[in-house]
Amino acid sequence: MKTAPFTLLTLPVPEQQPVPQGAAVRIRSLTHVYGRGAQAVTALAAIDLDVPAGGHVALMGPSGAGKSTLLALLGGLDRPQGGELKVGDVDLAGLGGDALAAYRRRTVGFVFQHFGLLDLLSARENVELSLALAGVDRSHRSRRARQLLEGVGLGDRMEHRPSALSGGERQRVAIARALANDPRILLADEPTGNLDAQTALLVLALLERVHREQGCTLIVVTHNEAVAERADRRVMVKAGRVVG
Amino acid sequence: MSWRDSLRLATRSLVRRPARTALTILAVTLGTGLLMALGTIAGTADTRVVSQLSKGGPAAAIKVAAAEPDPTQLASDSLRAGKAKNLTQEAVNAIQRAPHVDSVVPILATRVLAIPPPRGSATVPSTEAVERKTRPPDPIFESMVGADLSRVHQLPITLLAGRLPAAASLTEVAVTQGYLDRLHLDVNKPAVVLGTEIEFADPQFNSQDPVQYRGRWFRSTVVGVVAQEVADGQFLVPIQQTQLARTWALQGEGDGGDLPLPTSAYTGLVVVASSLDEVHTVRGEITVLGYATSAPEHLVASVQKYLHVVDIVLGGIGTIALVIACLGIANALLAAVRERRREIGVLKAIGARDRDVLRWFLVEAFAVGAVGGLLGTLLGVAVAEIVGLIVNGYLRAQGLQGVQLGDVSLLFLAAGIGGTITLALIAGVIPALQAARLPARDAVGGA
Repeated sequence: MKTAPFTLLTLPVPEQQPVPQGAAVRIRSLTHVYGRGAQAVTALAAIDLDVPAGGHVALMGPSGAGKSTLLALLGGLDRPQGGELKVGDVDLAGLGGDALAAYRRRTVGFVFQHFGLLDLLSARENVELSLALAGVDRSHRSRRARQLLEGVGLGDRMEHRPSALSGGERQRVAIARALANDPRILLADEPTGNLDAQTALLVLALLERVHREQGCTLIVVTHNEAVAERADRRVMVKAGRVVG
Repeated sequence: MSWRDSLRLATRSLVRRPARTALTILAVTLGTGLLMALGTIAGTADTRVVSQLSKGGPAAAIKVAAAEPDPTQLASDSLRAGKAKNLTQEAVNAIQRAPHVDSVVPILATRVLAIPPPRGSATVPSTEAVERKTRPPDPIFESMVGADLSRVHQLPITLLAGRLPAAASLTEVAVTQGYLDRLHLDVNKPAVVLGTEIEFADPQFNSQDPVQYRGRWFRSTVVGVVAQEVADGQFLVPIQQTQLARTWALQGEGDGGDLPLPTSAYTGLVVVASSLDEVHTVRGEITVLGYATSAPEHLVASVQKYLHVVDIVLGGIGTIALVIACLGIANALLAAVRERRREIGVLKAIGARDRDVLRWFLVEAFAVGAVGGLLGTLLGVAVAEIVGLIVNGYLRAQGLQGVQLGDVSLLFLAAGIGGTITLALIAGVIPALQAARLPARDAVGGA
């Protein structure tokens, strides 16, 4: 499906709330191993990394290098097995269960390569779901979802199911959803991996604008040199270690 | 995430796989339907069998005779009476006050002389009767049974044709099949005697030598044909009629001659215990008060044991079908968990807690159980109705009273739906827990 060009609109700033500040990331000797015994695979081997609040970092490296594991740990999808991992003033090693879910709701916004939209729901409902999980009441979530979708140029497609949208449109819905709860850190896993070059540029521009206007920290996992070049800093991960 | 949000997700998930959802609901519907139909049919059959044993009256009915009890009375269902003992109003009140007694209906039977048509105004359409028009009809010396017909549901009376006499009527009578038999009429066509008139005479003894009786003559219209086990007798009337006969007899002279004077206010009672389990206790209480009783308690208990076995087998078959259907729910949900690993991961990635995911799948199981339970319950009742129509057709062709399968209580319907939902929720627990425990990590790709 060919993606129509779109105009970026100014994204809505939540009412009565200050513009959120990005969260600084501090990683020390972070280790993560999958499996046990002879089957054990070291995904991250005592890596150190600092990302300043509001920074824009590109994580690069070959497949299996540990980029997605690092992203998952940063996003609270997994618990660190060793070392220190702090996002803002939150020590993720000390969180579990509902506290980790609350961290994901309040602090993190995810943008996936596969978009991660529920095809059961319309674009608006997908954005609203994120707000519903955060306990936002029905009337406010509907208004906020509309604002966000209009902000990413999808005001006329908000009642469509994801399957009826193009790749670029789906990714824009995903970005709107990621921004629903004003995240302090935006994590994008190959956000342009499934998009054509033109659409990829538009999505990247949107992410960068969000990063700039919302002030959140942006960490992008990518194989694409062109995408990485747009970041403030490139971090190369290889065999579970930061090599550059 | 609210319940409403969970319901929306669950509903959309079910609609996304229409064929799988329809088949799962169909299985639950059939399972519930089978269980409900078997339950309804078994319940009605039980009631019918017990009712048959208690001759159409309440299953917990006890007949009390105006006689002292034999010492072995309680060991037997049959009447084991000693010498006659008057049943007074005081005795009736004492029985009424006894624990576990629901009701007491007094019975008074008296001897009458009955003269059937053609002396009456209507004719009996049989060749025999037509022939008898040319000569006086043979009088019948029989018992007339009087009872409070406003409480007929507490008496072992089954209406075969027409209606019962009005509660206090002195001009209406119901007859038994024995009366038809006496008139050489077809007992399978009881309606032919409806509307005919019978002339009755209550005897009053006047002198011993020579023996003289005189009668209180009255006419009654036959309004119904019944099978009754209230007392021996071919005529059933309101108790006011037999009370008049008793008063008339007592106004005579002497000891009544060959017809002993009806000294007892009542010739019997029908006592209804609060439940079948209390029949023996109540019989014991009446025995202590000094009256002989009969009730098919041992027979009913014995038959009930066999009926319970049948109930268990039928219920077991239905339950197995329902459990298999619920395993279908579990299987469908497990397949859904496998399909939705990434969706569940994404949901968790955007902040869903384990219990949000658990709720999503449990609501899905609930929805399937609720829809299947409702449809299955309706199907079960419909099947029971159809079976009832077929069975009634057969019973009526055999000249027997039909059964009523349609009287399903709301509690039974609610239990059917509620039970199915509960089983569906139980079936959904394992898939829901599996889904809830999936790692949020599944939202992102490889390492």
